[in-house]
Amino acid sequence: MWLGIFFALVGLILGTAIGLNVPLVFPQAYGKYIGLAVLAALDSVFGGIRASMEDRFDDVIFLSGFFANALLAAGLVFLGDRLGVELYTAAIVAFGVRLFQNLGVIRRHLLKK
Amino acid sequence: MLRRYLAVVFVSLVLGLLVVFQFRTTNQVEQSVPYDRAHELTVELKALAKERAGLEAEVRDLEEKLSRARLGYAQAEEAIKAEVKDASILAGVTPMVGPGVRVLLSNRGTTTPQGAIFAVRDEDLLKIVNELRAAGAEVLSINGQRLLSTSEIRLAGAYINVNLRRITPPYEIIAIGDPVALRSSLEIKGGLVETLRDWGIDVTVETKDRVIVPAYQGPFRYQYARPVRGPA
Repeated sequence: MWLGIFFALVGLILGTAIGLNVPLVFPQAYGKYIGLAVLAALDSVFGGIRASMEDRFDDVIFLSGFFANALLAAGLVFLGDRLGVELYTAAIVAFGVRLFQNLGVIRRHLLKK
Repeated sequence: MLRRYLAVVFVSLVLGLLVVFQFRTTNQVEQSVPYDRAHELTVELKALAKERAGLEAEVRDLEEKLSRARLGYAQAEEAIKAEVKDASILAGVTPMVGPGVRVLLSNRGTTTPQGAIFAVRDEDLLKIVNELRAAGAEVLSINGQRLLSTSEIRLAGAYINVNLRRITPPYEIIAIGDPVALRSSLEIKGGLVETLRDWGIDVTVETKDRVIVPAYQGPFRYQYARPVRGPA
């Protein structure tokens, strides 16, 4: 598990470094999409940490969950823009709730030890 | 085992990348137009486009009106030009052409203008001009001097002045009008031409299909007279 956190940190630092060095700026209109993608990624990361603590981490589930959540969220944003309803708040709420739930579980696992 | 960590690395890499991107995009907010503002501007743009379409329609309408007004202007100009033309004809500043007579008076064999009794006098010219006017002459000239309402025919010293210009024999009077009537009014039995011939003056009267009377060349000056405005 600690190795997992180490690799997660490595990935984070790598991504940050790449992001800072790529001279690419997304238009303002895509801000919502990126924000939701960040949420989806965070959700996956916390879910992965929780799963590894429960010793049921599966990389396929991890990755498919990441992509499926991100795509669904993006789809909601897109649909919401078309319909004029801020549907992406649904994704934000769902991800947020899950984040806190996962965090709570992780906290309990850490405290139990 | 390695696959698990690769997945973790991948997801956290994407996370870091996205966070940085979002960070930079948000940092740009101050530099670029905010998203809501873009919406606002779009709405404004639509309103302005509508307004512009309305104004374009108005422009078309006004242009049509303007072209119609110009048409009226052109007609008015045409009318004024015609009026100016008529006025200049009446004022005598336009050369005129038409059928008429040419009367030529010359002193028979005189050598000195003063010595001859039977020289052409100013009165003779005046009488001829009067006669021609009475017979319906429309336009007259003596030796190239157009006769206007202000023209004089008078003796000035040894010479005759017309339009303040000295004219010398032979005198040529050109009149536009009915040639036959003009000629017969002069050559009537016991008339002017006969009298002049009796006095020893050579008078020839030719009828012509086309004579040209030149325009008045001198200036018009009205120092004291001015048009009456309103009921006098």
